[in-house]
Amino acid sequence: MTTTTILDDLKKKKIHALLKEGQRVDGRALDEPRQLIIDTGVIPKAEGSARVRLGDTEVVCGVKVQPDKPFPDLGDRGIFICTAEILPLADPAAEPGPPGEEVIELARVVDRGIRESGMVDLKQLVLEKDKSVVGIFIDNSVTDYDGNLFDACSYASVASVLSCKIPKYNYADGVVTKVEGEFTAPPITTVPVSVTMGKIGNNIIVDPNADEWACMDARITITTNEAGNICAIQKGGNNGFTPEELVQCGKISIATGAKIRDMLKKAGRS
Amino acid sequence: MDDIKRKYVIPGDVITTGPYRAEENVHLHGDKIIATTVGISEIFDSGVRVIPLAGMYIPRIDDFIIGIVKSHTSLSWELNINSCYAGILPAQDVFGRDFNPKVDDLTSRLKTGDLIAARVANSDRSRDPLITIADRDLGKIEEGELIKISPSKVPRLIGKRGSMIQTIESATKAIITIGQNGFVVVSSEEPEGLLKAMEAIKMVEEQAHVPNLTERIQQMLGSNSE
Amino acid sequence: MGVKKTDIVLLDDKGIRCDGRKINEPRRIMIKAGVLKNANGSAYIEFGENKILAGVFGPRDVHPKHLANTDRGILRCRYHMQPFSVGERKNPAPSRREIEISKVIKEALEPAVMLENFPRTVVDVFIEILQADGGSRCAALDAAAVALADAGIPMRDMVSACAAGKVADTIVLDINNEEDQEGQADMPVAYMPNLGKVTLIQLDGVLSPQEYEKCVNTALEGCKIVYEVQKKALQEKFFGDSQ
Repeated sequence: MTTTTILDDLKKKKIHALLKEGQRVDGRALDEPRQLIIDTGVIPKAEGSARVRLGDTEVVCGVKVQPDKPFPDLGDRGIFICTAEILPLADPAAEPGPPGEEVIELARVVDRGIRESGMVDLKQLVLEKDKSVVGIFIDNSVTDYDGNLFDACSYASVASVLSCKIPKYNYADGVVTKVEGEFTAPPITTVPVSVTMGKIGNNIIVDPNADEWACMDARITITTNEAGNICAIQKGGNNGFTPEELVQCGKISIATGAKIRDMLKKAGRS
Repeated sequence: MDDIKRKYVIPGDVITTGPYRAEENVHLHGDKIIATTVGISEIFDSGVRVIPLAGMYIPRIDDFIIGIVKSHTSLSWELNINSCYAGILPAQDVFGRDFNPKVDDLTSRLKTGDLIAARVANSDRSRDPLITIADRDLGKIEEGELIKISPSKVPRLIGKRGSMIQTIESATKAIITIGQNGFVVVSSEEPEGLLKAMEAIKMVEEQAHVPNLTERIQQMLGSNSE
Repeated sequence: MGVKKTDIVLLDDKGIRCDGRKINEPRRIMIKAGVLKNANGSAYIEFGENKILAGVFGPRDVHPKHLANTDRGILRCRYHMQPFSVGERKNPAPSRREIEISKVIKEALEPAVMLENFPRTVVDVFIEILQADGGSRCAALDAAAVALADAGIPMRDMVSACAAGKVADTIVLDINNEEDQEGQADMPVAYMPNLGKVTLIQLDGVLSPQEYEKCVNTALEGCKIVYEVQKKALQEKFFGDSQ
């Protein structure tokens, strides 16, 4: 659905003309993300939650923590699942019903970035090996669409997990009981940050808005960890990047990611 | 103006009771006249109406509008005219009576994403409204920037006898084309004038219900240029 | 705290309910109109612990086309709960409960919306429950009605909804989650306050004819309180401080 936006031709021409001068339609620098506002704890009934506004893209994210059976081949690890959905009220083109391929890609890219960074140490979430583990279920719901859902959902997920409280569980004789009122912080090892860049002509721009998203040639999402390493990549769009551009994108994602990481950490603590 | 009673209303508000004619955006329930939309109610002579502050554009014959080409078939273009109905621009309107779908390629004249200045040729809600660009000053818009405002606020942007729009144009040196459907195109030689004009238009949209808006806009434009 | 459910005192001898309210007192209600950028109209409501977002699109083209009605517009409504909105994570696919609630909300709004003005179109109402508490269908309706007005869709009247019920043998206004679980009856009601018409009523539980009458009247009092909050939300959005 995100590609069905019909951009009027004058706007498209303006985006291209401005980029030739090194400028963007909304006055940002090429490597500058939009304003990021993070509120955590917005859904008290969820163990962790956040509302993120990236420009005019808005996401509400909730984390549910509950005991579950481990995956058969991963008996020594807790469960971590991250989903994303574009709510039909977020965009006139979005429709209720089973998710399309773009929404499924969105959910998988957000999940992969956080999972591959090893943000949550899942080995610490085992109640009884092969029998019972703690599951962390992260659900992102996009409530307003203005491009770049990848980063907005990723930031919402990370902020929700950082602010999340893990209830204490006891396991005895196959029965899990929740200890009321006792919580621990989640076992965090690093704070992953995804940075999505669009390619329009020969320009690389960070955090494309909906208008830029509708006319870009290709995009790439790079997730970096706290040590400044790259831990997940997804390229999309029907054009390509040169190897030099890929190196440039890697550098941008590390530099931009570092600034956003500080904001995520701050939001996660409050 | 003084003998017209104005009031802010929301749907369901009883504007008055008694022997009045129910005009636009109100309905009669018993002897109550009730608002059906958010807006400003007016009681004048023996009639009652509400000037809406929100809502879709409903095409009316002869309206000047701005449309965005959405798609085309072999016989016509489909336009986004910011309404609940898509506008239909028949190929004959552009190619003339000799139009031949086997020979003439519609995209050679207008393609998806193009903006056009147009008029509503026919509209009766039972069919998608027919659009025409066969007149002077109509056709493809080659330059400028599109802003979308609520169609209900177009009269405010034009102002009494065009006073508002003249105020903005003369203070910013921008050229502003206003479609009745809420699509507005602004163009200017100077980027600064363009930005100021767009700012003024947004201010009209946000404060459409505020009295003395023209003076406020004058003030805003005046203080900015000094 | 270790309090077992059976230990909850739903109504004490001073007439105070388990959350500290009096019998005819609603929970805290806050509504904000126009909270979304893309939707034609929108509203956010907090009603007790309910947190609900409603967005309206339309009137617009109907897809699939065969659903279109040549005489009048159609209204579609979706009530949907977020997976994190309840204690145990909810499967995001719509449940039978959500589908039924979507239907009754649609039928509660339909008498108000002047669909005859827009043949061949659809008005879509999307309701997302971000956090659920007792009485979420009423709160959802309240937000949806404000979102419709925010979209400028012609309406004969507002639609205001509130529940009443029976708790500890007493008729009380606005049932919360505990009262819903432990109480004797729950009756959501939606009402067009200026036309005096009830557009939604349901009942779970047993009431005597006298209690039934009292329960309806109590719920209608609640609807009137909600109506004032809805009005305020729209006035704030459209008229700001120039009132």
